[in-house]
Amino acid sequence: MLSNALEALKTYDWGTDRAVLAPIDEAVISTRDDEGSRQELEASLAAVLATPVSRDAKDYVCRKLMVIGTAASVPALARLLPEEEHSHMARFALARIPAPEAAAAMRDALASLDGELKVGVISSLGARGDEASVPALAALLASGDQQIARSAALALGDIRNAAAAQALAAAKPADPEVMRAVVDGRLACAERLLDSGDKSAAMAIYKPMLGADQPKQVRLAATRGMLACAGQKE
Amino acid sequence: MSCRQQTRRKFLKTAAVVAAAPYVITSNALGQGDVPPASDRIVMGGIGIGNQGSSDQGAFLGRPDVQYVAVSDVRESVRKAAKERADQHYKNSDCQTYDDFREILARDDIDAVHIATPDHWHAIMVIEACRNGKDVYCQKPETLTLREGPLMIDAARRYARVVSGGSQRVQEDYKELVARCWGGELGEIKSINVNVGPLSQLCNLPAETTPPDIDWEMWLGPAAWAPYNAARCSGSFATDGGSWRSYVDYSGGGMTDWGAHHFGGATFAIDVRELQPVEIEYHNDPEGKHLTYKYANGLLLHHNRPKTENLVVEGTPGEKRPAKPAPTYKGEGGIYGDFIHCVKTREKPFRDIELAVNTVAVSHLGTIAYQLQRSLKWDQAAQEFPGDEEANRFLDRARRQPWQL
Repeated sequence: MLSNALEALKTYDWGTDRAVLAPIDEAVISTRDDEGSRQELEASLAAVLATPVSRDAKDYVCRKLMVIGTAASVPALARLLPEEEHSHMARFALARIPAPEAAAAMRDALASLDGELKVGVISSLGARGDEASVPALAALLASGDQQIARSAALALGDIRNAAAAQALAAAKPADPEVMRAVVDGRLACAERLLDSGDKSAAMAIYKPMLGADQPKQVRLAATRGMLACAGQKE
Repeated sequence: MSCRQQTRRKFLKTAAVVAAAPYVITSNALGQGDVPPASDRIVMGGIGIGNQGSSDQGAFLGRPDVQYVAVSDVRESVRKAAKERADQHYKNSDCQTYDDFREILARDDIDAVHIATPDHWHAIMVIEACRNGKDVYCQKPETLTLREGPLMIDAARRYARVVSGGSQRVQEDYKELVARCWGGELGEIKSINVNVGPLSQLCNLPAETTPPDIDWEMWLGPAAWAPYNAARCSGSFATDGGSWRSYVDYSGGGMTDWGAHHFGGATFAIDVRELQPVEIEYHNDPEGKHLTYKYANGLLLHHNRPKTENLVVEGTPGEKRPAKPAPTYKGEGGIYGDFIHCVKTREKPFRDIELAVNTVAVSHLGTIAYQLQRSLKWDQAAQEFPGDEEANRFLDRARRQPWQL
């Protein structure tokens, strides 16, 4: 049955009866405590990604690898990152595979990707809280591509460690959209610092945001943060 | 250059213009009769104006303390109809229409927005609205994944925004049950049961010709790319395949769509709205699959318990407890009035985003237990399944580029 379902992936496409893939869905659950069968299933699915099956079939495989994928699937998924049609679904799996190889593959892809595909990888590294990507993301804050610079700022705000805070503090984007993301990221970092008890570092982020040149909501955020630093509720 | 890049450039150009443009003072700016002057009205826009969004638009348009000035929708016909409705109401032609919601958020003159898009857009729009200083009324179910919830709360709190969820039923449909529970009539509350479903499914509908009326790329947004199909994007309330509410990329199915109401009413009745469960027990009995959620305070929330009706409370009859005052809407005019009141006073609304997130988390936690067909433990503070690598994979999903929370 499982072999039939894997075979069905060759012709699977939008409009095909979903039931033909049900044995794969079932195997994802039934192989949970059977390491050998699980590895076999993962290898079979990863192998499909290198074949000329439909976009929908690869989409389905990536969804399953999101659930069962390990470091073993990473090379097959990483090969899809530069492909316009498959990059997102490759990240769909890579972003949730806990193996460090998955994050490393996305970091490695940053250097060769551009435009929206790069934005996608940046967002997944941020969502993953990948601290090792901070230097690369920091460099992208100065990108001439507004979407990339904005995305990097938001990702650093997701990671919100000391290095991310430092990178965001140094950023001086001229683009207002990027600046909004930098401010948001800095506020996220300040909240982390406050949570960890480093009130003076948090205060150093909040204080300059009280200026009349800042939007109302940013001044409110800074006021709220400074009150919290002082141990008061707003 | 992709279509979306072009759209983005157009957006930025327009946004710069609209952000700089002052709010045009209209003929009724000074107010008359029951209509307050413009300075006392909340200036609003709507995002996602089909079906439920249309109902929300009507509710806000009907309020004299709201000036409704803009609509955004990916369907041209919906935008046009929503504009005509607003213009007829005000007897002017001021309502502006936008394909891209970011153009509404960029307008400095707009105080608040209501959002009624499919669920896969909610978190991105709510967070971006907060970054732009807008208060938000967001339709339920407010989240599509567990990770989205805390980020939406963070954005609301960070920028001191009023963000209300959008289930009117929690207060209005379950009033009597809440009164009995909070009034002490049922004694010590032990448990409550919720019957709701189904879970959403993967959508594999065939491609159809995309109508010129819809910006399909924008409808999909952060969801996985898929070809247009009318049922895939229908805004009807079907959860059996006839609308986006049936499909996993856009919705949690009945489990979240009606779950937002029923779990909302149940957690309100037994007073655990501020908590999330710590354990989800999965049962696969001959009578069917069902769940028992356990809260840290010992209360139980059953899901689809066999032979048990919806919203049945197990208490200790005969042991009447002292009554406690139940929270209710502030202001006048139901949940919409509650939101507008809070926009003015900066109080937390009845379905504050944090309470909404806790409610929908019940749905998401249950869905993951059903998907994995096993019991789970949940750490609300850490927002993770402790030591459970398999379940933690379901906390979130990658969004399609260029969309990001």
